[in-house]
Amino acid sequence: MDAAPSPTGAGSDVETAVEIRDLGIRYDLRLTKRTTLKGSLAGMLRHDPGRENHFWAIRHMSLSLAHGESMAIIGPNGAGKSTLLLAIAGILEPAEGTIVTRGKVSTLLTLGAGFENELTGRDNIDLAGAFLGIDQRQMDELTPSIIEFADIGEFIDAPVRTYSTGMRARLGFSIATAITPDILLLDEVLGTGDQTFRARSQARVRELVGKAKAIVLVTHDLSFVTEFCNRAILMEKGRIIHEGEPAATVDFYRQRVAEQKILAEEEAQRFARPPVIAPTS
Amino acid sequence: MTTPAEAIASPRPMTRRRGRIAIVRTGLGEMLGRRELTRYLVGAELKRTHADTAIGQLWWVLDPLLQMAVYYIFITIIFASSQPDYPLFIFVAILPWKWFSATLNEATLSITGKQGLIRQVQFPKIVLPTAAVVAGTVSFVFGLVALGIVYVFYPSRLSLWILTIPIIAAVQFVFTIGVALIFAAANAFFRDIQNVLRHFLRMWFYLSPVLYSLDRIEKIHPSLHTILSLNPMAVLLNSYRSVTYGTSPPDWAGLLVVLGFSFLLMLVGVYIFKRAEPAFARIL
Repeated sequence: MDAAPSPTGAGSDVETAVEIRDLGIRYDLRLTKRTTLKGSLAGMLRHDPGRENHFWAIRHMSLSLAHGESMAIIGPNGAGKSTLLLAIAGILEPAEGTIVTRGKVSTLLTLGAGFENELTGRDNIDLAGAFLGIDQRQMDELTPSIIEFADIGEFIDAPVRTYSTGMRARLGFSIATAITPDILLLDEVLGTGDQTFRARSQARVRELVGKAKAIVLVTHDLSFVTEFCNRAILMEKGRIIHEGEPAATVDFYRQRVAEQKILAEEEAQRFARPPVIAPTS
Repeated sequence: MTTPAEAIASPRPMTRRRGRIAIVRTGLGEMLGRRELTRYLVGAELKRTHADTAIGQLWWVLDPLLQMAVYYIFITIIFASSQPDYPLFIFVAILPWKWFSATLNEATLSITGKQGLIRQVQFPKIVLPTAAVVAGTVSFVFGLVALGIVYVFYPSRLSLWILTIPIIAAVQFVFTIGVALIFAAANAFFRDIQNVLRHFLRMWFYLSPVLYSLDRIEKIHPSLHTILSLNPMAVLLNSYRSVTYGTSPPDWAGLLVVLGFSFLLMLVGVYIFKRAEPAFARIL
């Protein structure tokens, strides 16, 4: 951690793909999914100073990722893993701190997010390219290899609504990786598909790592982390609590989960055995 | 602890404060620059509408005709309207009104309906309402086929002035984009908007000269006439009606005023939308 680049050293860290400094991502609880005018007016009227109306999904996080690194983010649900990916992708803006990315970021996080059901697989490849801002000519060049890798046969000319979950994921993964991003962000996706596709997608990820592309991957599959990544961070409650070699981080996490499990069991037992009260009759 | 005062005072992220003009310029750039994306989205939208119906795209032609039939029966039989060639009279206003109201509905839902996408992919969100407006325009053009059918029965109403329809439509397009951007952004924050919109549009419909002409109102109620004339849609509908029904030129002066107003509204719409955009991923 002492080797953190100096704020002025823009030239010295050319190799970094992602540079995160003191990142804070905040969700406003007043404006969430089910906000209605009434609710928010009522909220304004009874201003409750004791109640927090925002929530920091990530706070005071600093991190840098070099090209060629493949970093796994592990941790319990709600740790802020996906939020971190969204922030690196530029989908969520930081409330505090900065994120600098160098190179093309692939933002197809959950594969097949942008698919239009009525369009064919082929049209959806073009649509995805348009979303990512890749020009038509380049997309035309990539299309054959995308179709080949997705391996969905004649379905490529059928509307995407007819696809199985696995087929959608395969096409999505194929698009996300075919555009050879400099920084590839993957959110819990490598577990999808059958064994063969899994093996092939693993090979693809290795290839991208080999091409000095940076990868950030959120997963709950711990064996995957040690197999694929050359670095891992463990997040909890919006902070990094462990960082280092994948094997070491995974061990640390396993240990921590085990400890928490014991604590939880003790807690449960305390509740399960209510204080003995003399029977009333 | 953190500094709560700062946090409460700024619910928005601390984006670098850019000038308003720069924000609007970025937004317009995205709107015009991502044509390829807009094109695909429009294509998808057009495939989606009526894709599951037996006669599919034929509905674009049939829909305004049926709507005209309903109003015609309703108005002539119950209110005994004395307007000559009444079917054509209302049809030429129903068509652009349908374009406006259907588009505004689609655009309002364009952000909230794509929340999965917005939380997954980084792209200029302004293309979503833009694509909705463009897709609506395509179905309006198809609706003009229906106008051709109606003309078969009223050939004497046909004049070369109908060639000015694209000009009137262009003004309406700019007006619609402005309104659509504001509604799309607002609905992301308050879903009430989409519910209110239905009633709001219905009221706007009755206050606009679709089923009647403003001249009639002028005779009965001069002050009401002045108020109703301020409605940009009234100016547009009057112009459509002049060129398609009245065999006369459109209200050029009125169109120019509406165009100026619509252009300003569009700039305001782009500004509001761009200011709201960073929050979409966090609140959807």
